[in-house]
Amino acid sequence: MELLALLGDFTVRSVALGAALVGVVAGALGSFALLRRQSLLGDTLSHAALPGITLGFLVAGSRALTPILLGALVSGALAALFVLLLTRATRLKDDAALGVALSLFFAVGTVLLTYVQRHAGAAQAGLDAFLFGQAAAVLPTDLTLIGGVGAVALLTLTLLWKEFKAVAFDPDFARSLGLPVLALEVVLTLLIAVAVVIGLQLVGVILMVALIVAPAAAARQWTRRLEGMVWLAAAFGAVSGVVGALASASVRGLATGPVIVLAASALVAASLLVAPERGLLWHAARSWGQRRALGSHRVLVDLLRLGQDHRDPAYASEQGMLDTYFGGPTGHVLRRLRRRGLVERVEHMPEEGAHWVLTPAGQSQARALQAPFGDREPSAGREGPGEAA
Amino acid sequence: MRTPRPLRPAAGGLARRAVAAILVAALAASLAGIALAQPPAPVRVVATTAMVADMAREVGGGCVEVTALMGPGIDPHLYRASAGDVDRLARAELIVHNGLGLEGQLGAVLDRLGERIPTLALAERVATAAADRLLEGEDAYEGRPDPHLWLDAGLWSGGAVIMADAIAGLRPACRDDVHARAGDYVALFDALDAWAAASVASVPTGHRTLVTSHDAFRYFGRAYGLEVHGIEGISTESEASIADIRATADLVVATGVPAIFVESTISPRTIEAVRAAVRDRGGDVAIGGSLYGDAMGEAGTAEGTIVGMLRHNVVTVVTALGGEVAPWPDPLTGWAQAWGLP
Amino acid sequence: MARPAHGLGPGMGPAVSVVAGVHEPSLALHVEDLTASFSHQAVLWDVDLNVPPGVLAAIVGPNGAGKSTLLRCVIGAVRPTAGHVYVHGRPYREQRHRVAYVPQRTSVDWDFPTTALDVVTMGLYGRLGWFRRPRRQEADEAMEALAMVGMDAFAGRQIAQLSGGQQQRVFLARALVQDADLYLMDEPFAGVDATTERAIVDLLKDLRSRGKTVVAVHHDLQTVAAYFDWLAIINVRIIAQGPVREVYTAEHLRAAYGPRVVLLGAADGAGPMDPPASRAPATGEGDRRPVT
Repeated sequence: MELLALLGDFTVRSVALGAALVGVVAGALGSFALLRRQSLLGDTLSHAALPGITLGFLVAGSRALTPILLGALVSGALAALFVLLLTRATRLKDDAALGVALSLFFAVGTVLLTYVQRHAGAAQAGLDAFLFGQAAAVLPTDLTLIGGVGAVALLTLTLLWKEFKAVAFDPDFARSLGLPVLALEVVLTLLIAVAVVIGLQLVGVILMVALIVAPAAAARQWTRRLEGMVWLAAAFGAVSGVVGALASASVRGLATGPVIVLAASALVAASLLVAPERGLLWHAARSWGQRRALGSHRVLVDLLRLGQDHRDPAYASEQGMLDTYFGGPTGHVLRRLRRRGLVERVEHMPEEGAHWVLTPAGQSQARALQAPFGDREPSAGREGPGEAA
Repeated sequence: MRTPRPLRPAAGGLARRAVAAILVAALAASLAGIALAQPPAPVRVVATTAMVADMAREVGGGCVEVTALMGPGIDPHLYRASAGDVDRLARAELIVHNGLGLEGQLGAVLDRLGERIPTLALAERVATAAADRLLEGEDAYEGRPDPHLWLDAGLWSGGAVIMADAIAGLRPACRDDVHARAGDYVALFDALDAWAAASVASVPTGHRTLVTSHDAFRYFGRAYGLEVHGIEGISTESEASIADIRATADLVVATGVPAIFVESTISPRTIEAVRAAVRDRGGDVAIGGSLYGDAMGEAGTAEGTIVGMLRHNVVTVVTALGGEVAPWPDPLTGWAQAWGLP
Repeated sequence: MARPAHGLGPGMGPAVSVVAGVHEPSLALHVEDLTASFSHQAVLWDVDLNVPPGVLAAIVGPNGAGKSTLLRCVIGAVRPTAGHVYVHGRPYREQRHRVAYVPQRTSVDWDFPTTALDVVTMGLYGRLGWFRRPRRQEADEAMEALAMVGMDAFAGRQIAQLSGGQQQRVFLARALVQDADLYLMDEPFAGVDATTERAIVDLLKDLRSRGKTVVAVHHDLQTVAAYFDWLAIINVRIIAQGPVREVYTAEHLRAAYGPRVVLLGAADGAGPMDPPASRAPATGEGDRRPVT
């Protein structure tokens, strides 16, 4: 099968593995960015990495990934510090500060990039690959680096799990426990920066934010606990990476990075639609169910009231009358009620059409429905037929 | 009491004016003579790529003053004009560029300036003159000719006469000079062409495949008998895909070439990824060296000229693929000595 | 009492004699010269607070008076420009483990993916220290605390699904699980239903009967006299502090809220045990808050 052939291929496996590693780390750490309402931080960190990447490039060329990633990490960290400074020293809120830092550092990076491209000759070959990534060219040494650094980041996350959880949920309370909140926030930001940086070679500066945000956003729809969310986000990140790698491998000329991002976005869209309790489809289904139940209840109560009006609990109501009270056709509702054994259809006079009568079960059900509103005089208190559905 | 005025000043004034007129005329004549005797001011030529700048310098000699916009190692597909560049282009007397879409990001600027400054799209003119020798473009250059003409020495030298005409058009006094130089240029390149063909012919038949980072060497391959295969397409604006790497690795294993090559303007990672894939498939391949495809080497080095660039490419490729470089031809010994090469 | 497991501990700093390290040991909470400012505007100025042990103390004042900031300065979430805090005679940072903080309910995003039990368990993180995970024992203690506030049936419930009063109770349970001596609460009665309000009052009384001290920022002047026995009125500076009967006067209230305060009914300060409906005077406040 085509898929198996792809999986057996060395290049495809390398890219898929790299993408999966990046996805796991980005998903896990992105969860914290998302919950702390700092999703834009991933974007800022990746764009701010550009000056560092350029300088790392100048130092070591494109052969060695380590100086480039170190440069990216340093300039990303500087940008994060800059954001912190801005929010504490001025009246700017988080989102504005992140935007300012992003634009400033990315602009510096672009100027540096074009300067280097003009003057550094062959030394800059391949620098612009970091804008959109060059996933296809991932080498075994890259995988070792990504895996190693990613493992360290995840280990730190595990060790400091409860501290991060406390700080993410309620930083003031965490402070009162004696936790060094500022230091923990700095470490968390650094970890997010690391997650961003290891993904830059695969997905590029511009799209990396998607891997930070999308798996976490998708996972949020399915879980009730932080532990579950982080695991699921990591899994979604890995799946996006692998699916993206496989999908892009089958067509010549299809760039891998953007396809990974598309896969992650598809997961988010699906989660928003389908997830139980939070999903849109779920809400729609529940609404629909409730409307149906409402229709059933109203028809039952109408039958009961008609019976009360005529002082006969076994009164056979003509369907036409029920339609009028309901304000629309009741055939399907009545059939549904009949299936549940709450009403029965009777023939009154051959030329008069269908008549319906409440069964004993139907009567007690109808009385139970009527009770919360109090027993009212059957003929009084009635607005008249045809209330809008 | 009145003092009679002498008559002499009036008569002296007339003479004085005449003397002045004669002196001015003589001065003008001598100045004109001086001016005629001076060589004409060099044409201010601004070239885009270093390759066309090289030809402009060689053909123009003292009649031109050439500035190149793109330095060594610059990728012409991606190069964007800065404000300084536009300024320089605007003050040129002659703009020379490759054309055929090579300078992908400079199109608008060149079009606009081309309306008032004489502009020579060198490769386009060569293309028109030698239409049958052009290669059809692929991918981004679909439906248009492939622009990498300079790697076919024979085809490229056809631009010399066109260049000479353009310069002579602006400085008629230079006409003989530049045409002579153009003739020399053509002779040099013909020798180079023959030498390259002979060198490549020594490569064992099974190894005559040239695998590089992108498809810049199709003219080179066709001219000298090599199958070419680039991992990426003709333009570097796209990203190499996984399928590209795999296809290239399959090719390398199938043909059994001993070496693949990186390019000076492109990240070597794609080639390294191909090598890793080849090794996983059980084969092995060496990285034979760096080639000059889209750009030449550092200015002031031999590889900073087209001759040097082609020489480097041929030597690197032929040696890595198991052939033997032919003896350096006589017409080019002068060139080699000038650069201190054996 | 165990030493605080996080943070640097008390051993950092120059060696001082035992006598010099102790300050006002007879007070549960002693705040001295506390001053804090944001963007060059003073929020707290020269605040001295002396809360005796075993009282239910309320802190009241108009909006922006610095009440929340005061608590946050005490626990170290805000850096004051001046001042010291002592708890039961020793500096706050040595006594962290004896202090429990209940922040404003609205300061947290309740859509966070976590359960009520999880939130209460967070109260034990301080005791656990670095690298230890909460285990069975911690879960049991958290359940006990939830039971104390009547929320044990909701232990596994997502906090987003809890009502305001239930959320407040979870926050209180988180404080209770710490078994502290001093409880600092920021508007514990804000936005809760009547049942929860009664439950919280009972809880506070229970704490007091066990010798604990509670210092709560309170938003509702109507109920101060009924729920609390000690009062500090603050508006950037301390206006007055002391037993409720002495402090809860028209003069002090006017000094804090402005001259347009209108007192209805006798301002003779009903005792803290009286039900709220009968005695507490209503005020028309000088600030934006509506009178209930």
